[in-house]
Amino acid sequence: MIEAEAELKALMLRGLSGDAGAHRAFLTAVSGNLRAFFRSRMRGAPEDAEDLLQETLIAIHTRRDSYDPSYPVTAWIYAIARYRMIDHWRRRGRRGEHIPVEDAPELFTAAEDVAVDAKRDVARLLAMLPQKQRDSIRLVKLEGVSVKDAAAQTGLTESDVKISTHRGMKTLMRLMAEAEA
Amino acid sequence: MKTEDLIEVLARGDDAPAKRKVWPRIAFALAVGLLLGVGLLLTFFSIRPDIGAARMMVMMKAGFAAMAAGVSLPLLMRLSRPGRATGWRVAAIFGFLALCAVVTAIALMGGDPSTRMQAWMGGPFPWCIVIIPILAAPTAALLGWLVRDLAPTRLTMTGASLGAVSGGVGAMVYAMYCPVDSVAFVATWYAVSIALCAVIGAVLGARLLRW
Repeated sequence: MIEAEAELKALMLRGLSGDAGAHRAFLTAVSGNLRAFFRSRMRGAPEDAEDLLQETLIAIHTRRDSYDPSYPVTAWIYAIARYRMIDHWRRRGRRGEHIPVEDAPELFTAAEDVAVDAKRDVARLLAMLPQKQRDSIRLVKLEGVSVKDAAAQTGLTESDVKISTHRGMKTLMRLMAEAEA
Repeated sequence: MKTEDLIEVLARGDDAPAKRKVWPRIAFALAVGLLLGVGLLLTFFSIRPDIGAARMMVMMKAGFAAMAAGVSLPLLMRLSRPGRATGWRVAAIFGFLALCAVVTAIALMGGDPSTRMQAWMGGPFPWCIVIIPILAAPTAALLGWLVRDLAPTRLTMTGASLGAVSGGVGAMVYAMYCPVDSVAFVATWYAVSIALCAVIGAVLGARLLRW
């Protein structure tokens, strides 16, 4: 737990300062913990757990700016995971079981790295975004074009591309939540 | 899309959100909310005609309302972002409520028993419990729009603290209208009105603050 905190926090801070490799390592490590956590909470529905995992990863990614470095990153991750799960149950019209507000340790004691297929296809949901957001995400996130080149190709300004990408990812998370049966 | 691929997509490209300071935006929302509240007051109600003579009382009442908002604001700020313990911030609010109760009791005991009821109720009905939430609405809407973007994860609590802060701002505006100047009235009914705003905020927050 303490090692997880120190390690994840270091990766998170490097990711926030623009180190894409650290950010990838952070998301990968967290996804192992989150998968084990969601599966244990949603027994018998590993695909639902995978959906929730993907949704939570996008939430963690797009809301990185809400992390306050003077607090543990594990508590921040746990709060978001807990929130996404409660939101998931609420959409299904269930009150859901009680999940303690501050109980991050449980989340970081187990990891599960074997993925199953998610039920929703994120790639299909991408097509539902407004064009500006869709184009920005396609270029920057899927094709790996630099923001500068993406701006040149779309005729948008660089900051417009960045904002559209960011907004698009947020919209995508909402679509994922809504697309769920 | 597989989770592994999704992580690749998320990590690729530079879309790190720009660092934005929270406090200036909150301060802006509070200031604009206050002005819009005054606008509502001027449109649908009125400023008390003797505001010049009663300015000391108006200032005291507005000061009390500002204290209520100020004591709720730390909790809202704390809850607006994920994974931060609330610590003393809930206790501060209950401490303030206890203070209101003590002030009311002292004011009523010191007063003339024959006018005690009048001093406490202010009149036939304490209209502030209806009007303060109305005057608080613009602030609540602005704060809600702002706070939702900060990714709060405990929506009922966040909504309640947001309602209390907005209620305090609404009560500051109401102080310019309110004709009752008794201490016991203000310490009771302003506090009840702001608490009502917190309850409304808790109910609405659970729905409207979702992200």
